[in-house]
Amino acid sequence: MCTRAYTELAHLTAARDGMPHLRQVFTPHPVGGKTSEELAAYLVNPDPVSGKQIMKEIIDDLIVPLTDDEKKTGMQAIAAGPATFGPDTLDNLQEAFMTNGMTDYLPIVIPTEEKVEAMLKGTSHSPDEVLRKPIQGVGYLAAQWGYTVRQVAVNAVMAGCKPEYFPVVLAMAAVGSLGLFGSTTSSGSAIVINGPIRDKLDMNYGLGALSPFAQANTTIGRSWTLMGKNLTNGGIPGDTYQGGQGNQLDYNNCIIAEDEKNSPWPPLHVQFGFKREDNVVSIFGGPDIRQGHGARGAGAEMAMFDQQISFMCQSMVGGDGALGILDPLVANRLVEQGYDTKEKLSDWVYKNTQRTVKDFKESFLAYFHLYPLALQGREPYATWYKLPDDAMIPFFLSAKQINFVVCGGQANAFFQIANMNHSRSESIDKWT
Amino acid sequence: MKVNRRKLLSLLGMSPALLAGTPAAADHKKKVAPAASESKYTAVSPKGTPPAVQLYSMAPRLDTLNGKTLYLVDATGFFGSDKLLQNMQVWFQQNMPGVKTVFRRKAGIYGADDPKLWQEIKANGNAAIMAIGH
Repeated sequence: MCTRAYTELAHLTAARDGMPHLRQVFTPHPVGGKTSEELAAYLVNPDPVSGKQIMKEIIDDLIVPLTDDEKKTGMQAIAAGPATFGPDTLDNLQEAFMTNGMTDYLPIVIPTEEKVEAMLKGTSHSPDEVLRKPIQGVGYLAAQWGYTVRQVAVNAVMAGCKPEYFPVVLAMAAVGSLGLFGSTTSSGSAIVINGPIRDKLDMNYGLGALSPFAQANTTIGRSWTLMGKNLTNGGIPGDTYQGGQGNQLDYNNCIIAEDEKNSPWPPLHVQFGFKREDNVVSIFGGPDIRQGHGARGAGAEMAMFDQQISFMCQSMVGGDGALGILDPLVANRLVEQGYDTKEKLSDWVYKNTQRTVKDFKESFLAYFHLYPLALQGREPYATWYKLPDDAMIPFFLSAKQINFVVCGGQANAFFQIANMNHSRSESIDKWT
Repeated sequence: MKVNRRKLLSLLGMSPALLAGTPAAADHKKKVAPAASESKYTAVSPKGTPPAVQLYSMAPRLDTLNGKTLYLVDATGFFGSDKLLQNMQVWFQQNMPGVKTVFRRKAGIYGADDPKLWQEIKANGNAAIMAIGH
């Protein structure tokens, strides 16, 4: 049983899991927030999808013998649609790609065979090399489609990437779970790029680093969404995408080329165990990015950026981490405050960002995701649920959940902070 | 990021053609290709490769619910599915008292497997209904 809002998702998920004829009953939406009396009424009223009275439908579903279709076993092939589109005019191809849900609704570069071949020259890898094997979907949202280097190249062309950007796009694709994460939470992505390739691709990490002022930043970011849509069958509203409000980050996925020269600290990829000369892409995911608007203690001799960062973290979703995006001016002032390493700053934010057990218990995340883990004895949640409501607990699980990168044009000592977790880092050099 | 003088002039609304003189304007005229949009192209599909799907036969149905044990499983812990199923228990008690119902909440977060519960249902139950709230 599920609610009417998820009719399509329920049918498609069951079909992808090998049960296209799974008997399903739907109630009105939502069931959350309804009284016992209202829910009792649901049960004796019609299923909004089938029109049958719900309890009668349930009983029938349990006792009416199976049809031949319901008994079927064996393998069923799934089609991904035509291998090519056209021949047709560029305008008509734009329209075809858009109406088939293969774009982000901005004009694309039409991926002709010639353009795809040119893109493939950006890597030494075979076009037929498999980055992810297709696996029968089991459960939640994204279908387990597979893809090759050539299929990634098609999406890179569409996004407007140059062939020299292709190793970065391949490294992102190698991560496996691509853009347009389908959860109802509308989570988005941020992608950090480190290493000398930033200059080779003329990426912008100075003035307006997060805005559309460089082709590499813009198109590499766009490719993440197109790949999520096309390579893994993601981003289909009502099916593989359920984000209630969506996320504007999905247009470009906040590409952050770190300003390694003007940062007083080692770059992010070095923190993750890579060498400084390595080229690396790091993927982050979570709800949002917010403006820090300077430091606490405006007008004071020492601006307290650490306190402002901690203050902003208080309203985050605690299960997701934090990614501070600091202008070099902010990073250097933090060094003046005594944070001579990023780790010292992460540690201070972790220790000084706390909340009461009551606040934690009343959060959406705790109620739905963490309480079930506490019931299974998973720490620290099991312990937290035994503490009194006014006990103070850390907001984040560890200091490692709090990361910092440096970029910006040093126009003002501002920073932004993403409520995002680091999911994975991947070598770009592997894909040249 | 490099910014050159020609680009800066463009940003100020001054065409780089001003620097180059009239030949640039002439060149611009030459580049207007008539009916270019009528040329036809073939585009490659950007789609990945879906998996083949193993089909499963549904479990055989019961001949009657009378005297049988029916598990009602809150599958996700999302809002309301527990209350809905508990109301279903009441409905069975009132309307089909010969049916024994057992309410369970699946362990772990919504995507997590719960093999212990499946084992329990297999051992003690005759049928199960899973509900997902929201």
